[in-house]
Amino acid sequence: MLIALSMLIFLLLRLTPGDPIDAYIDPNIPMSPAQLTELRSQLGLDRPLPVQYLAWLREALSGNLGRSIQRMDQPVLSLVLSRIGPTVLLMGTALAIAIVAGITTGVISAVRRNSPADLSFSVLALVGISSPAFLSALVGLYVFAVRLNWAPSGGMLTPGAAFSVSDLLHHLVLPAALLSIAQAALVMRYMRASMLEVLNQDYVRTARAKGVAEFWVIAKHALRNALLPVVTLIGSTIGLAIGGAIFIESVFNWPGMGLLLVSAVETRDYPVIMGATLIIGGCVIVVNLLTDITYAVIDPRIKVG
Amino acid sequence: MKLRMMASALAISVALAATGGLCTAPARAATLSGGFDVGPGGFQGNFNPLAATSGFTWLSIYFEPLVTYDEKLQKVVGVLADSYEVSPDQLSYTFKLTDAKWHDGKPFTAKDAKFTLGLAMDAKSGSVLAARLKAIASVEAPDDRTLVVKLSAPSASTLDTLTKVMMLPEHALASIPVDQLAKNSWWSTTPIGTGPFKFTKYVTDQYVELAANTEYRGGKPALERLINRYFANPAAAIAALRAGEIQFTYVDSNDVSTFKGDEAFKVIEGDSFVVNYLGFNHESPIWKDVRVRKALMHAINRDAIITSLYGGAAKPANCAYVADQLLPPGIDTYAYDPEKAKQLLAEAGWAQINGDKPITLLTYYTTPLATNVLAAVQAMLAQVGINIVPRAVDTPTYNSIVLNPKPDIAQFQLVYAGLQNGPDAGSINVGLNEKQIPPAGPNVVRARMPELNTALDTALAEPDASKRDARFQEVCKVMNASLPWATMWVANRYGVVSSKLKDFVWTPAPGGGPYAAHPEKWSIGE
Amino acid sequence: MLARTPHPSPGPTARAFHRFGNNRAALFGIGIIVPMLALIVSYPLWWTFKPNDIDLLAMNSGPTVTHWFGTDGVGRDVFARVLEGGRISLLVAIASTLISATIGFLVGAISALAGRWTDAVAMRFVDLVMTLPPVIFLLVLASIAGTGIWPTVIVISLLSWPLLSRMIRSRLLELRERDFVMASRGMGAGLTHLLFRHGLPNSIDILVVYATLQIANAILLEAGLSFLGLGIAPPAASWGNMLNAARSTAVLEQFPWQWLFPGGALVLAVLAINFIGDGLRDAFDPRAELN
Repeated sequence: MLIALSMLIFLLLRLTPGDPIDAYIDPNIPMSPAQLTELRSQLGLDRPLPVQYLAWLREALSGNLGRSIQRMDQPVLSLVLSRIGPTVLLMGTALAIAIVAGITTGVISAVRRNSPADLSFSVLALVGISSPAFLSALVGLYVFAVRLNWAPSGGMLTPGAAFSVSDLLHHLVLPAALLSIAQAALVMRYMRASMLEVLNQDYVRTARAKGVAEFWVIAKHALRNALLPVVTLIGSTIGLAIGGAIFIESVFNWPGMGLLLVSAVETRDYPVIMGATLIIGGCVIVVNLLTDITYAVIDPRIKVG
Repeated sequence: MKLRMMASALAISVALAATGGLCTAPARAATLSGGFDVGPGGFQGNFNPLAATSGFTWLSIYFEPLVTYDEKLQKVVGVLADSYEVSPDQLSYTFKLTDAKWHDGKPFTAKDAKFTLGLAMDAKSGSVLAARLKAIASVEAPDDRTLVVKLSAPSASTLDTLTKVMMLPEHALASIPVDQLAKNSWWSTTPIGTGPFKFTKYVTDQYVELAANTEYRGGKPALERLINRYFANPAAAIAALRAGEIQFTYVDSNDVSTFKGDEAFKVIEGDSFVVNYLGFNHESPIWKDVRVRKALMHAINRDAIITSLYGGAAKPANCAYVADQLLPPGIDTYAYDPEKAKQLLAEAGWAQINGDKPITLLTYYTTPLATNVLAAVQAMLAQVGINIVPRAVDTPTYNSIVLNPKPDIAQFQLVYAGLQNGPDAGSINVGLNEKQIPPAGPNVVRARMPELNTALDTALAEPDASKRDARFQEVCKVMNASLPWATMWVANRYGVVSSKLKDFVWTPAPGGGPYAAHPEKWSIGE
Repeated sequence: MLARTPHPSPGPTARAFHRFGNNRAALFGIGIIVPMLALIVSYPLWWTFKPNDIDLLAMNSGPTVTHWFGTDGVGRDVFARVLEGGRISLLVAIASTLISATIGFLVGAISALAGRWTDAVAMRFVDLVMTLPPVIFLLVLASIAGTGIWPTVIVISLLSWPLLSRMIRSRLLELRERDFVMASRGMGAGLTHLLFRHGLPNSIDILVVYATLQIANAILLEAGLSFLGLGIAPPAASWGNMLNAARSTAVLEQFPWQWLFPGGALVLAVLAINFIGDGLRDAFDPRAELN
């Protein structure tokens, strides 16, 4: 799978106009194409495509993803690995916020169906789904960082300061909250729908009929079952989150995979793009697997193994 | 279960609110943070001066060249060379080196300088300067304090190129094979230079930190630390500047208005030394007639664009230059005159040449300002019956299209581009001389104008520095009459600094400089 | 119920219409989108300004009686540009939805109906495309295809079909084993016959719901692409590239009308389409009546 993916990316990249050397030149201070040819041959970019791909693949299989072309002193693997942490942290926090906020509001909406709370949550969720991530990021940045000065305008740590968890959290809150909007909205809507369905089921009625307190009916009987479809949903929103993360990272200057990829695409840094997509592809596969496992844990009808 | 969830949600939000409200990062007094690599002169993530096409503002804080420009970018002054002499035949440059020390305490000698020039001239090291140093025949170090550079032919631009050669320590780098040099991690981990600040650390893609070099020969720097923060775009840097997290950054000209009249900030304005032009693709038949090219000049209201879109901060260009000493008297100023443009087009028979068929205008400028400028140009040209369609692409795409030895004319009948026109006036040669047509050079408009070639060649080969300006005036005159480009303007660029900064020197030099910024004198008040 | 009826019968469709008619949110959505479409289509007839007319003397002016939504950085009328942008954004959205629905349906239906090998190959390919994070795929595709309306349409359609083809496939896999399909196969029906006589009518509900929600999605994708400078290139207007102006602090802060109006139009349109899509989904969902 990953090999097919790498082939696809490799092919796509070489169809893209411009190569890393073209990206290197400032058109205001140009260099001659003859000089560029020399730089290209040093990088092996003038060899036939299959040869280049096989050379890359052989190295990749032995764990060497090559070096970044734009920053020759940095191996791709360490560059990409150093970006996974920040992105996972950002997406993880966003996911946590989304799950907590989405499930809470979803349950409240379902239980108090058609109440003012339900209506406002539902409308908010729809607006959340309907607004582009970059717009909320820009406005959020302006309001909370530039105007109110509640949070830093970007970056992950205060430059020059010693590392501290509170500093990290301080930088994390705003981008993570903004990133979680779309996911939270989705989770809320699914949670509400699935909760409504579960509340109509016989076993819930039975529990109520037995005189179980409403709170426990919801918490014990309904919630667990209503969570099932939501778990699958959360797995499938990872793609959405990666997409949103690219915008958030670019607006908040968060040193994650998204930012790395955008700049690598801009500068046609082939090895970095290949390495990063491979690792992201791998992560998506693992996440899908994890979703299946979680599903099995929650749903007693499915046995693991 | 729900209760637990609610409780944890509450706990998290309380924790977040607490961290959000309480901790504000303590800014230490003697630290200056800035976006030194933001904007067109910056090169984030590059630590190797040999591979640097830009980013010299920052690199020249811890590395130093032999000579550099003064802060007005007018003349070349010594840095690691106390003085230099040029022989009367323009073939030999003798540098007297100053008494300087590397950051590790070892003395800087002529051997280091010779070693560095050797690397810079060797393309195998990944040096992007190699081609520009081709005129150098030999480099000798007769003693520790003297360096003699001999040229095979007079070349006025050699000194300009030498300002970009940052001196490197032979004792640290000699053991690394030349072709492995660019891949070595020395550059981003333990580089040493001779400048007023020492490299301390690089936190990948977030910031670079320098500490004061207390042994600096020009005196102990006033600041303790310098931090260069990385930003994905100028807008992010502006947010950080306004939030008080950094004290300096480059700012796109359309964002400058946000800072004007604000006591907390000072706006630094400087010549970009980049002339913007509409370049005619001379291989396309539609521009053959000079009257068509003249019509374009008359059809575009450059003054209106400069006043309204550039806020007045640009000079209209009627050839590649706008500096007074390079302008000959009596050149055509191509005043805005749409009627005359229509008449010229009618005389040339534009209806038969192209009529209202769309003409692709290729550009790599994607800033909001450039987008607006092109919208205005498009509308103005439409008034006289020239139908251009702007197409903005990213830099690599642009380069791959225009530098292609067999270009597809339909893709770029016209370009909107910029070319460095100073401080060395000869910089424009590569974009206009027939000898520089790809693949030999970057004459992307494929200008083939014998008169212009002659004017450029004569100016470049002029051995007498005092006559050089007159030679370039001749270049200007030819350009003005034959219009290889429709020259537009030279715009100013901006930096914004916190008013707390004292003695801070910055100028929007092409490629970031270098120029004599004297970082050791920068200080920050309360 | 609809899925089991090989011939369209008025019963379920009429019921679906009825359910849709009772859905207030969906009607609200229609109430927004219809006037919006009317404005977008008719504005050249009654609005004084053209979207690309510049007026350097009137640049960055706020909303006034002449310029209802103010003007932008070169004095173009924001109202005209919002409507023109709507035209382009909706054109991109609808065109890309049509293309991706076609691809999605064909791939899904063929892999369900054509045999095991085709199925395996097609589904691995779908997996492959889905493993790729969409925005990255988008970035790379967009830099290959370039900017402009049709490249954007192509990029968005190439990105969106896999999900639909999965849904279609799972619906039709079930169908494949049904008697009437078996029968027509036994009688030597070709693939085309299977696809359009049985496959299409039985997945029409999926297609309609997908298409509606995908239009909303495509509007957002176009905006995102244009924001990254890869979608519709200026000076052509689109909601996405108008929003791109908000990147500049000066615009964000001093000239908010330049991004608030296109932003508002975008959110409103997407919201309305989502309402309609939800309404359609509920309307086609036979279980909805049980509640």
